[in-house]
Amino acid sequence: MIEINATILAQILNFLILVVILRAVAYKPVARLLQQRSDKIRNDLEQADADKKAAEQTLTQYKAQLADAQKKAQAIVEKANVTARQEHDAAVAETRKEIERMKQTAQAEIENERNRAFEEMKSQIVTLSLAAAGKVVSKNLDTKENDKLVNEFISSLNKDMFADMK
Amino acid sequence: MHEIGVRETINFLGLTFNIETLKMTWLAMIIVIAVACLATRNLKVVPQGWQLFVEMIIEWLHSQIDAMMGRRGRSLAPLIVGLFMFLLASNLIGLVPLMASPTNDLNTTLGLALLVVVLVHCLGLYFKGGHYIAHFFQPTPVFVIINMIEEIAKPITLAFRLFGNILAGEILIIVLLKLMPIWMPIPLVAWLAFSIFISCVQAVIFTMLSMAYLANAVREDHAEE
Repeated sequence: MIEINATILAQILNFLILVVILRAVAYKPVARLLQQRSDKIRNDLEQADADKKAAEQTLTQYKAQLADAQKKAQAIVEKANVTARQEHDAAVAETRKEIERMKQTAQAEIENERNRAFEEMKSQIVTLSLAAAGKVVSKNLDTKENDKLVNEFISSLNKDMFADMK
Repeated sequence: MHEIGVRETINFLGLTFNIETLKMTWLAMIIVIAVACLATRNLKVVPQGWQLFVEMIIEWLHSQIDAMMGRRGRSLAPLIVGLFMFLLASNLIGLVPLMASPTNDLNTTLGLALLVVVLVHCLGLYFKGGHYIAHFFQPTPVFVIINMIEEIAKPITLAFRLFGNILAGEILIIVLLKLMPIWMPIPLVAWLAFSIFISCVQAVIFTMLSMAYLANAVREDHAEE
């Protein structure tokens, strides 16, 4: 029952053959697959980490850009406001100046017109006076008396008739 | 039903072989390879069905090897998983009527045990060199005697434990078949069930002890390096 013979060698050989076959057929593919899977999982995790980091970075970037843009927009609006106010003020000032100038021009013109009218009237009055004087002279040749009369008349004109035209 | 203790032998090239043991060994090998092929056929990255089971075994084995032997042990994984599957198949074959376990032959168990022990010493010498030999003489040179006895006892205990368990189980099956009338199957069924348990346990024990011995030789010993 307990005899040892060459079977022991055969069994060792058999077992070694079995191990070699098993290793080739079953163990290696499974071990490789396990390795593949763990590699894949590790890669996926690393990829996910990288993606997350990138996404966070992009988000921060976008937030910064957004804040920047808002600041810029604010600045632009303020600048526009200032510019508009300045332009408005300038336009108002310009208009006032214009009005002032026009007023002055108009006043000057009015002055001129009045002076001219006054001169004209004065000359007409002189003419009329002379005509009147001529008629007086034709009747009364005392020139000295006449001149005195005429001058008196004119100065009275000056004082009384044009007093309200000034 | 074969006679207990009498083995059919053949002579080949002047050597004597137990032909029944060889036949049963080949059968066990075929079963193991077939199971392995079926289980690992059509492997996918996302596992399913059988593949899950096989992966579970290999993952468990890897964790055991890593814990006991460190990274160097990985190359021994096919040997250990092969040992376990072969022993399991061999032990269970004997429970089928008209068949015998290859492991009920001392040639098989002693062969495997010697293989393991020789491998242990070779790997120990390869990985640790002089330290491995020196460690037999510690703590004092006198201990070499005890250590030698231990080393010799290793394959013998390994072989005889398995051999005895399996042979006893088969003998008792035969005895029960002859002893009990066929209408009283309870003892036989009970013993068969127990034998299935014993077969698994013995396969595990042989494998775990082999792993432990191999681990001794392969493990990176921080005190020595």
